[in-house]
Amino acid sequence: MANPRDTKDQPDAKLGDISSRLKDLDARIAAEKSEKRAAEQPSMKYQGASDYSKGYRLASEFVAGVLVGGLVGFGLDKLFNTLPLFLIVFLLLGFGAGILNMSRSANRTPPTAEELRNMPKPDDDEDEDK
Amino acid sequence: MANDPIHQFRLHDLAGPVNIAGYEISFTNSALFMGIIVVTITGILLLAARKGALVPGRLQSVGEMWYSLVDNMVKNVLGEEGKAFFPLVFSLFSFVLVANMIGMFPYFFTVTSHVIVTVSLALFVVCLVVVVGITKHGLGWFKLFVPHGVPLAILPVISIIEIISFLSRPISLGLRLFGNMLAGHIVLKVFAGFVVSLGALGGIGILGAIAPMFMAVALTALEFLVAFLQAFVFAILTCVYLNDALHPSH
Repeated sequence: MANPRDTKDQPDAKLGDISSRLKDLDARIAAEKSEKRAAEQPSMKYQGASDYSKGYRLASEFVAGVLVGGLVGFGLDKLFNTLPLFLIVFLLLGFGAGILNMSRSANRTPPTAEELRNMPKPDDDEDEDK
Repeated sequence: MANDPIHQFRLHDLAGPVNIAGYEISFTNSALFMGIIVVTITGILLLAARKGALVPGRLQSVGEMWYSLVDNMVKNVLGEEGKAFFPLVFSLFSFVLVANMIGMFPYFFTVTSHVIVTVSLALFVVCLVVVVGITKHGLGWFKLFVPHGVPLAILPVISIIEIISFLSRPISLGLRLFGNMLAGHIVLKVFAGFVVSLGALGGIGILGAIAPMFMAVALTALEFLVAFLQAFVFAILTCVYLNDALHPSH
């Protein structure tokens, strides 16, 4: 075999080469990532739309609560022939249920915004329209 | 062409009225488009899965994203035991998504802009929650309506509120989708109508038509977003409600 210094130098040089290339690669990956993040910034659009849909969701939760409360009350009134009584009581309870719905829906980890970002893009339909 | 923004939602028989036992079950344009939706979904997914290449092509990667979107959603919300509901959630999501998207074509009918369709889907989901909850947990599932840690004195009121809150789910789930699609299409149609009727005036009218024209274009983009988002919200709320059936304690 040749003298050990030779073989030792060789891999060292190679290692240095590899580590510098690794660093280079890391830098490139980081650059790519930040680029990607920048490219994903337009998902502010998703954000805006999901704020809109969140607002709409809360409103509809509340309305649904009141509506169902009123319907249940009206049904009971029809059943027992006591028209305004249960309607009033259940409308109020319906308001309570609406508020409960809203607070639940608001406290639920909001799915749309962050999960849209984590999940792969669903369809290319949207992209075509941007 | 009628400039009436509601006209696009009108149902009409395609094969003459059909009555069975006093119920009208005519084949309407809505039914036709539901058929088209199912054929579209099946066609896209079959085409996407046809090759099964290791490196997916365009269509295949659309199919894979479609699948994995719902898969992640079911896994995140329902956990591993929710796997059984994946086909249901996937079907609902696909149906609503494709219905909304097909509705974006001019002169096409939007199935989800009819409250009967959306509330039927929502009612189906909530009935399923009740059935699954009772088969899985027996009568213990009704503890969902009796939150623990509530003083006995106000427990009846809280229970009634919880029950009303539960009953309001199909309404809010169905009305939301219906309302979004209906409102979006009407607004779109109204702005497009402005363009046409202002443009017909000529001269200054054409100048005035520029603003609603841009508005209509912007709204079209927004509507595509809403179409997807509503399908997504419908699917994720289905998961959230099914989660109540699997794990009733909150």
